Amino acid sequence: MKVLPPTLRPKKRYLAFELIAESPISRDELIREIFSAASHLLGDVGASECAIRLLAFEESNGVVRCESDRTENTRAVLASITSIKGKRVLFHVLGISGTVLGATKKYLEGADVFSPQNSHI
Amino acid sequence: MAEPLFYDLSIHLKSEDPVVLKKLSNLAQHLGYSGIAINSVDNSSKLVRSMEIDTINLLSSVELKISNASKLHGQIGKYLNKVDVITVVGGNESINRAAVENPNVDVLTRLATPKDNGFNHVLAKEAADHNVAISFDLGDIIHLRGGRRVHSLMNFRKNLLLVRKYDVPFILTSNAVSIFDMRAPREMIALAALFGMTREEAISGLSETPGAIALKKNHSPGYIMEGVLELDSSCVSDDLRGEHV
Repeated sequence: MKVLPPTLRPKKRYLAFELIAESPISRDELIREIFSAASHLLGDVGASECAIRLLAFEESNGVVRCESDRTENTRAVLASITSIKGKRVLFHVLGISGTVLGATKKYLEGADVFSPQNSHI
Repeated sequence: MAEPLFYDLSIHLKSEDPVVLKKLSNLAQHLGYSGIAINSVDNSSKLVRSMEIDTINLLSSVELKISNASKLHGQIGKYLNKVDVITVVGGNESINRAAVENPNVDVLTRLATPKDNGFNHVLAKEAADHNVAISFDLGDIIHLRGGRRVHSLMNFRKNLLLVRKYDVPFILTSNAVSIFDMRAPREMIALAALFGMTREEAISGLSETPGAIALKKNHSPGYIMEGVLELDSSCVSDDLRGEHV
């Protein structure tokens, strides 16, 4: 199959985030929660326009991809996530970039992750 | 332009353990805040003192939940000189009215009544005149789901319209009860955009307005009263001499 010419490709943005969680979260659980939160907040139509996709996710850092003109909505979706499978979480978007490499290099490498330790308020 | 200093004036703590405070201020700093206000529920004997941990400015604050508008005045008198921020929880027409008419009230929060948004053009004018800030409690958008979130978004939209029209001061708050309920300033801006608030408005609601509220009580040593300034005697005579010659 022929690749779509660059001018026709949708423009993407890559959001580097950290997930501050009570206890470790698995990738599948996170994906399910992101899509459910997106549908709840923006509706199925709005969520489809955002085209959210979870790319890398390791331990507590990751990258989410979305449409370039929907970064604010995507941020709001991530902010509206309060718990995953009963574990309380806090999304913190570290930065937005136009490429995966940019997002990873600029915001994730060497970033100090906040850990709430074992106790919580 | 210098980076704005962000404040969240509505954080609730169940315990006043120094370890918890330290952790909370660490997280606030990590998220990019420069000041947070710790709300003590009224009637609690101990109030969190205002202090600074690292670079975070911890403000003391009280959230007054009153059953009757006539009790507001007495309650405010009790806390006026003890805390930095006085927040009144609304939720009923007469309480909302009493709160916006009292210049000692800093913030009016959760003003929606079961019927409507609890805010109208009359209250908006009063709030602007008495410099009482209206709080947009983004915790509602974060925590509620379904119909209740729809209602709170609708209320926020109406409030925003009035706030713009009458130039009422407003702040954005997270109303967090644990560290996991806090959100970074940029996330707050994105959440505020959901009900039509522009980026500039959201930034002023997170930095300028709460910053002004935080500074209100932190007077410099020579403070006399609003609008009065004691000048240095030597500088006065110099100025006067200059004018008279």
